[in-house]
Order: sequence, then C-alpha cells, then structure tokens
Amino acid sequence: MQDNHFNVILTGDLRDGIDLSAAISSLAAMFKTSEEKIQQTIAKAPVSVKSNVEAATAEKFKTAIEQCGFVCVIKAVSETVAATAPVSAPLPVPVNQDVLASASEIVESPASFKGLSYKIEGRPDYSFLTVQIPANQTLKVEASAMATMDTHLVMKTKLKGGFGRFLTGESLFLNEFTAERAAGEIGLAPGTPGDLFHQYLDGQTIFLQNSAFVAATMDVTLETKWQGMLKGFFSGESFFLIRCSGKGDLWFNSYGAIIEIDVEDDYVVDTSNIVAFTDGLEYNITRVGGYKSLFFSGEGFVCRFTGKGKVWIQTRSAQAFTSWAHFFRPV
Amino acid sequence: MKCEIKGSQAFSYLEIELAPGETIITESDAMSSMDAGLDLTAKFNGGFFKGLLRKYIGGESLFINHFTNNTQRACRMTVVQGTPGELRSRTLDNDVFYVQPGAFLARTPGVTMGLEWAGLVSFIAREGLFRLKFSGTGEVFYGAYGALLEREIDGEYIVDSSHLVAYEPGITLKLQLAGGIFSSFFGGEGLVTRVQGKGKIIIQSRSITGLAGWLNPKFW
Repeated sequence: MQDNHFNVILTGDLRDGIDLSAAISSLAAMFKTSEEKIQQTIAKAPVSVKSNVEAATAEKFKTAIEQCGFVCVIKAVSETVAATAPVSAPLPVPVNQDVLASASEIVESPASFKGLSYKIEGRPDYSFLTVQIPANQTLKVEASAMATMDTHLVMKTKLKGGFGRFLTGESLFLNEFTAERAAGEIGLAPGTPGDLFHQYLDGQTIFLQNSAFVAATMDVTLETKWQGMLKGFFSGESFFLIRCSGKGDLWFNSYGAIIEIDVEDDYVVDTSNIVAFTDGLEYNITRVGGYKSLFFSGEGFVCRFTGKGKVWIQTRSAQAFTSWAHFFRPV
Repeated sequence: MKCEIKGSQAFSYLEIELAPGETIITESDAMSSMDAGLDLTAKFNGGFFKGLLRKYIGGESLFINHFTNNTQRACRMTVVQGTPGELRSRTLDNDVFYVQPGAFLARTPGVTMGLEWAGLVSFIAREGLFRLKFSGTGEVFYGAYGALLEREIDGEYIVDSSHLVAYEPGITLKLQLAGGIFSSFFGGEGLVTRVQGKGKIIIQSRSITGLAGWLNPKFW
C-alpha cells in the first residue's frame, strides 16, 4: 500500500542561478501564503511539503516547486518513514495536512483537492473557518457557529439525527446553508477557544467527541452512537459519540490545539483530551495504575486505544479549565 | 513614538516607546507596566457628562488616562486589554473609523474620539446603541476577544451579531433574520447584521456568547 505513495521533499537548496528572495516570493504566491511563512518552512528544510500522494501528484508538485526555483525530491513514503522516523507512519486515512500548512497560521486547501475549498485563519487559538460553497450545494453546520456569510446563502434549520442528537449534548438543531444559484462564502466560528481540523472522508469513518463537530458536506452522514453505560460514565464526557461516515469534507474543533497521533499498538489518552478517532480502533476505559493512583494521581480514568488508526487529541481539557476557574467564580 | 503589537494572537499586548514630550491616551486600567518617569493624568472621557454617557452607553470608562513623557529620555510602557484576544492598529490620515463600544484600547493625541448614535438597528443586533467614531490623524489601537480578521466588503455581507469589531465609514449596518422565523430562533443564529457598502470590516473570530454557551453547562 505504501509503495505507490510518495512524499515531496523540499531540500532547502536553490537551483542554479536563482535568487533566493525571488524564489521565496514565487513559492509564497503559489501556496497563497506569506513570504515569512515560506522562509520559516525553508529554515526547517529538508521538509516534506506534500505527503502521501500518488506518483503523478507528487511529480506535479515537484515541477511546480522547481519552477519557483527550489530543488525538490520525491521519495516513496516507506523510504521517508525510515529516514524521518515517526512523522508519517502508516496512514489508514489520507491526510491533507502538510508540513507547509502546519507551519503557517493560515491553512488553505491545496490546489489539487477533492473537497470544497476552505481557509482556516487565526490558528491555533481562535481558529476561524471560511468555506466556499459551490452553487446549489449545501453545508451542514453546528447551530450558532455561523459568524459571517454572503447574503444569498439560505439557512434552514434541521432537526438532525432525531432524538439522538439531543442526548449527545450537541445542539438538537443543525443549520443547513445552501448557496442558491451562485457560489457563496461562509465563515464559521466555534464557541470553544481552540483549533480547527479538516478531514476528507472517502468512505472512512471517524468518531467525534460530542461537542467537536463544526461542519460537513451533505454526503457525510452524522449519527450518534451510544458508547455504552460504563464507557460513557467514566469517559467524563458524554454517553454518546458522533459517527461521521460517507464521502466529503468534515471539520471538527477542539479546546486547545489539536495533535494527531498514529496509533499502532496501544495508546493511552486521558478521557477528557480525546477529540476524534478513526474507525478500527478499539477503546477501553481503564485505570492508569492501581486503585491508589486512581484516586490520588489526579489522572483518574484513561482511554486505552488498541488497533491501528489515528487519534486526535486536544492540548487542554474543558474539565481542567472549569475546575481551575470555578474557585474564582462568585457563588 | 514607536508602537508595536506583540505577543501571541490569544494574548496580544501593545508596547509603546514615548519620546520626550509625547503623550498616549489609553483606556483606564489598560496600562500594565511603564517606566517610572511617565506621568499619568486621569481625565474625564471628554468632559463629565460626555464621560458619563460614554461609560453607560458607549461601554467605555468614565475616565481616560493620559500618559505623558516629561523626562529627557525615551520611556517605554506596555498596554493590555482586559479580554484574551488580538489587538490591531489603524492609522488615520484625516479620515474616520468606527469601532464597536468596548473595543477601544489606546490612541495618539491627534485622534479624537466621539460617541455617535449608531441607530436602533445596531442596538437590536447586540452591537450597542452607540459606536465610537475616531477621526483626525494618528493611530488608534483596538482589540477584542478572539482573532481579528479583515474582510473586504463590496456590496453586501452578513455578519453574526457580536462578531463585528470595527468598520470603515463606507459601511452601513442593517438588521435581518438569519433564516425564516423557525430557523432564526431554533438555529441559534437569531438576528444577524447585514453589512452594506464598500470598505473594510474587522470581525472577531470568537464571541463571548459562544464561550459562555460552551462553558456554562460545564460548571456545576
């Protein structure tokens, strides 16, 4: 599976007779980012600017980057793993995030991209998502997340997922924004301070923590899933997860920054730090140590993932924040 | 005068270096540190009655602080806003800029601040009955909760109430429902502001209502 996938690596070297600043500015123009970001990226060279793509796409990127004046090499994913260790382990879900994007505060959808074009600004503290909705298409959005939009977008409130969504703590209502006749833009601001993350689903399934959903295209199916009494009770979050499947774009948010973790065997995450995980991972709620640790370590229960897949965690937890802030609240 | 906005987006602060004889005017309680040589004069925010108006209607404070450098050397100070979030500056060159009540942080003496009736529309949209009008020549510093994003408007655009921070004079505000009657009340969007005209608007990427809605159910 890995053999026909490649990473495009920017070596940081210039091609002969090319001026550095000119090369940087043309590269900045190509990636639609600032020259400063490009400089930061170059400083980290060699970096992979596009990872896990097929040969043809990799070749296209290489040509484009070389036209800007930088030396670029293509490596098979399996080679890169050996060379750069845990950065890109086996990927069950194709990942659109690339190093260039994560180095910048503004993430934009790459040019050769299947889904809707979007932009995330204000990362990671107060991420703001702008999605371009093509004519006559519809976007499902978490209630009250809309911050700006074009005037011709039409909003409809739908009771989605039936009674299930009422129990997840997610709002009972989802808003559907349709771009009637012409393409339109919508800006989304989640309530939580923190980051936003995009995944393109192509038949995979992702489970989201109950309040992580921000937006999805119409072909993504959202269902609520009962976690089971024990898991729900001890997870400290909710009895329900949101199951996202189908084909299309999905955006979710976190409190704090988002870190993506590739799980190969076992991985333990504090229950209140889970944002999302891929299908195929089994999870159990366990103790970290013995009963003494359970009550005195402050760690309480944790979530142990087994199998192969990805877990997205958030760098802060709402529980920790509320218990810190609680003492300062007037009673 | 040298002014620089520093710090991360979440906790921006303003660093100012005042040359001898220079003055900066800040919102009360905005100074967080300064050279001991700077002199502070608290003044009514445009006179006693105007100050009261600005406090109770404009969301600003009754007093406003003037920091003056009466020494012979350059003095530094840092200015912060109360909310976590980003700061921005706007250079005025004999033009006008509107800022929502509560977002003002500091200005240079060449800029005058006025309180202007923004219309009932603005009030119902939870943007306040009044708006702060800055005119003259110099720098204005303002900030809000969240990251501040710039949008170029040419025509019409919809901004959710309480996300608008500042706008250029070419912009007018109108009010409308987010969707139909049902959608507007159950979709959590309610009333939105329709922004019309040509010019830049500054929006904040988070709102305090969004934060409260997320946080309040988590307190026990």
